[in-house]
Amino acid sequence: MSRKEGTISSLRELPRDIPPARDLWPAIQARLTEESRAPTAADTRVRNRHLRMRFIAAAAMIAMLAVGIWIGRSGLPLVGQRARPVLTASTANPGTEQGAVQTAYTMDPKYLRDRAELVKSLEGQLATLPPQTRTKVMASLATIQKSKQDLEAALGHDPSNALLQELLVNTYQDEMRVLTAVQEAGTAGKGI
Amino acid sequence: MAQVEPQDGRIEWEGALVQRARSGDTRAFERLYREHAGKVYGLCLRMTRDPAIAEDCTQETFINAWRALDRFETRSSLGTWLHRIAVNVALAKRRKATPVLDSATAEDEATESEWTLETPVEVEEIEAAIAKLPEGARDVLVLYAIYGYSHAEAAEMLGVAEGTCKAQLHRARGLLRERLGVEVH
Repeated sequence: MSRKEGTISSLRELPRDIPPARDLWPAIQARLTEESRAPTAADTRVRNRHLRMRFIAAAAMIAMLAVGIWIGRSGLPLVGQRARPVLTASTANPGTEQGAVQTAYTMDPKYLRDRAELVKSLEGQLATLPPQTRTKVMASLATIQKSKQDLEAALGHDPSNALLQELLVNTYQDEMRVLTAVQEAGTAGKGI
Repeated sequence: MAQVEPQDGRIEWEGALVQRARSGDTRAFERLYREHAGKVYGLCLRMTRDPAIAEDCTQETFINAWRALDRFETRSSLGTWLHRIAVNVALAKRRKATPVLDSATAEDEATESEWTLETPVEVEEIEAAIAKLPEGARDVLVLYAIYGYSHAEAAEMLGVAEGTCKAQLHRARGLLRERLGVEVH
C-alpha cells in the first residue's frame, strides 16, 4: 500500500536529526577559546589547596593566640627557662631560611631532650594541679597537638610555605611553654 | 546508498576524537559537534518549542560537554551522553523561565509500544500536535517515542520516577489521539 509523501505512520519515523538553521560552531568555539584562557580545573584545584592552607594557617594562628592568652593570663613569668634555650642560633639570625629554622628547632638535641623530660614528668605534675587547671592544661595541649598535626599536614603539601613553617615553630614553642609552666607550677606546689 | 557504519567502528572513531578533544584539540571536538549537532538540536527544539532557545541549549550542551569530557566513558554512546546533557540544559532553562511543575496522575503506560498511527499523518501535523502537548508529557514522548529511550532512561534523564514517566506517556497518547483524530497504538 502506497503512502502519501510527507506522512508517517509511527512516531519512530519522525526525524531525529534536525539541523539548526545556522551554524552554531563559531559561537561554541569562541566560548571554548575564551574558557581556555580562564583558569582550568587544575588551576582551581591549586587555588583551593592554597585557600585550604590559608584556612589551616589561620585556624592554627587563632588556636595559638588562644593558648598564648591563656598562658599569659595564668601568670607565666617564671616560665621560659627551658623553652628559650631550645631556639637555636638560626632563629636569632634574621637572614636564615624559615625551613632551616624549623629543622634546626625541631631537630635540636637539647630541645628534644628537654621536651622528652617535660613530657615524662607531665603526668606526675598534672596530678598535683587542681582539677580545673588540669582540665585547662589538657585542653591547651590538645589544641596545640591539633595545630601541629594540621600544620605538618599542610607543610606536607607545601613544604616551602614560610608562614606555615613559622607557625609550626611557634606551636612547638607554645607547647614548651605549657609543659614548662606545668612543671614549674607542680614544683612550686601551686596552681598555674 | 548511504553507508551504514558498524556501531563498534563508530564508537571507536568517536572515542579517538574524544581522546583528542580531551587533550584540547578543538578541531576534533568540532567533528563531534558536526556529527551530533542535529540530534542534539532536534531534541532541544522538541523540548523547548522555540528555535532560538533550542540553539542556545545546543550551544550550552556542547560547551558543557567540552568541560566534562574527562568524565565521559568512551565505551558508552556519545549521542546518549550528549542527550543527557541537553535534557539537563533544556530543563534548567525552562525552570528559569517558568518554575511550574507539570504533574501527571493518569493511569500509567504499562507496556512498551511502537507508537504507530492508525492512519498515516503529515509530519508537520504530528510535530505541531507534539509541540502543543504539556511540557511533562512532551518531554517523555520525545525521549521515549521519538528517540527510543526506555522508560527508565527517560525517567533518569528527566529526574522523575519511572511511574511518572509512564503516566506522562499515557497522558501524551490520549492527547495526541484527541488532537490528531487517529488511534495511536
